[in-house]
Amino acid sequence: MTKYTLLRLVSIISFLALWRLGSELSSPKILPGPVAIGETIIENFVTPGPEGKTAWFHIGITLARILVTFSIAMLAGITIGLIMGLRRRVELAVGYLIPVALTIPTLLAVFLCVLWFGFSESGGLFAVVLTVTPFVTVNMLAGSKALDKELIDMAQAFKAKRSLLIRKVLIWQLMPYIFSAFRYAFGMTWKIVALAETFGLKFGIGYMFTFWFEQFNMVQVMAWIILFVALMLILEHGLIARVEERVFAWRPVHAL
Amino acid sequence: MPLNAVEIEGLGKTFPTPSGLSRFAVIKSLSLRIQRGTFASIVGPSGCGKSTLLNIIAGIEPHDLGHVRIIPQDGTNAAARIGYVFQSPRLLNWLSVEDNIKFALEAQTIDRGRWDERVQKYLEMVGLSGQELNYPLKLSGGMQQRVAIARALAIEPDILLMDEPFSHLDEITARKMRVDLMHILEHAQPTILFVTHSLREAVFLSEEVYMMSVKPARIFKHLRVDIPRPREPEDPRLFDLEKGLVKEFFAVLERDQQ
Repeated sequence: MTKYTLLRLVSIISFLALWRLGSELSSPKILPGPVAIGETIIENFVTPGPEGKTAWFHIGITLARILVTFSIAMLAGITIGLIMGLRRRVELAVGYLIPVALTIPTLLAVFLCVLWFGFSESGGLFAVVLTVTPFVTVNMLAGSKALDKELIDMAQAFKAKRSLLIRKVLIWQLMPYIFSAFRYAFGMTWKIVALAETFGLKFGIGYMFTFWFEQFNMVQVMAWIILFVALMLILEHGLIARVEERVFAWRPVHAL
Repeated sequence: MPLNAVEIEGLGKTFPTPSGLSRFAVIKSLSLRIQRGTFASIVGPSGCGKSTLLNIIAGIEPHDLGHVRIIPQDGTNAAARIGYVFQSPRLLNWLSVEDNIKFALEAQTIDRGRWDERVQKYLEMVGLSGQELNYPLKLSGGMQQRVAIARALAIEPDILLMDEPFSHLDEITARKMRVDLMHILEHAQPTILFVTHSLREAVFLSEEVYMMSVKPARIFKHLRVDIPRPREPEDPRLFDLEKGLVKEFFAVLERDQQ
């Protein structure tokens, strides 16, 4: 463990050193150094920037957008996927729509929604839900196909009611699929939310990319990108990984 | 007049042929009565429809003809309680041992206030006290099957169905499980319908042995095993019974093939 920590530390320090070197060799306007970026990030948190808002405000807006769209997409995807997986007729009737939905390029979906709704909050958020939902649906469809018939028979032999069957037998078998959908959908959601903010939504981290991009302010653009990446890494590894660990506590740990 | 726990009359079951054009009979006019508190075994070769029969009794599979009746012990018209032990444990691996048993108790709408007492009682009976909070995948195959047995016993079933419950275990574990099951039955006296392909297992465990032939399944022989329990696996009287049944079984198989 300590060996790897040391290795990683050396790697990070080397990376920062190379970055610094690159910045010195080119110019701070093209590649600002790590110190300048770090200072700018702290500065953004402390003093209000454009629109009179600090970084906290933009982070809050972006996180709220992610939370809302992500929840809706997960809920819709799980429901649709399960209905399709458990009702063959529904799958036959509308299954072909999934590849169609998966094929539409994300950028086009955003443009389409801008055309429909204008540069409004609901338009941007709708685009996110529209693009993420099919991915969740596909995962749940696969999960519902992989359900263990023997366990369902067992539950029926003991006369388990439908709600008990869903709560104690089905949901848990679907957990790996829900989590893989969760991770994937989460990654997609924040990318598309950032995209929608870049293209039209007011406020948020993506909005700040555009703002500083239009000022040709390299330091600020990079500061916001790094802040965004750091935030998403914390969410992914800090939050999702923890929840996953708890949910799968029943699995024996296999030595790799 | 002894009371029956299970009455099966003229049971018939067909499956579609692989081509789907016609149906063949798996079970044909099968009748069976099992008295309350009896350990009855059905012995037959693999694929003779034994599991199908149990699934029909459990209500997991529909049947085409005849009727199946399970008579509740308390004489009420309440739905009969059916306990089922399958070939593999079929535990819910994401629930603790305790919660696996509670799953069956909840499914059977048994009063929540009695759950803990039932869990304790039946886990102790199968020799797994102290494993309440463990997860199934941390247990050995034999222990998992014990949990499955505790789960089925915990609902205090009107009939306990056992479908080759020891066939997936190694022979030493299986042997110990058979002896232990015999001891468990000294404390709880459920009616058991036990399905196996092993004549030795059947004569060792049961009071009644029914022999089943293949395609369509029918019962061609009924035998009472009058040796008092607990029995010794090496009891020479059991061997004699087994030998006689094997002979008879091959005679029927040959006749069927002609």
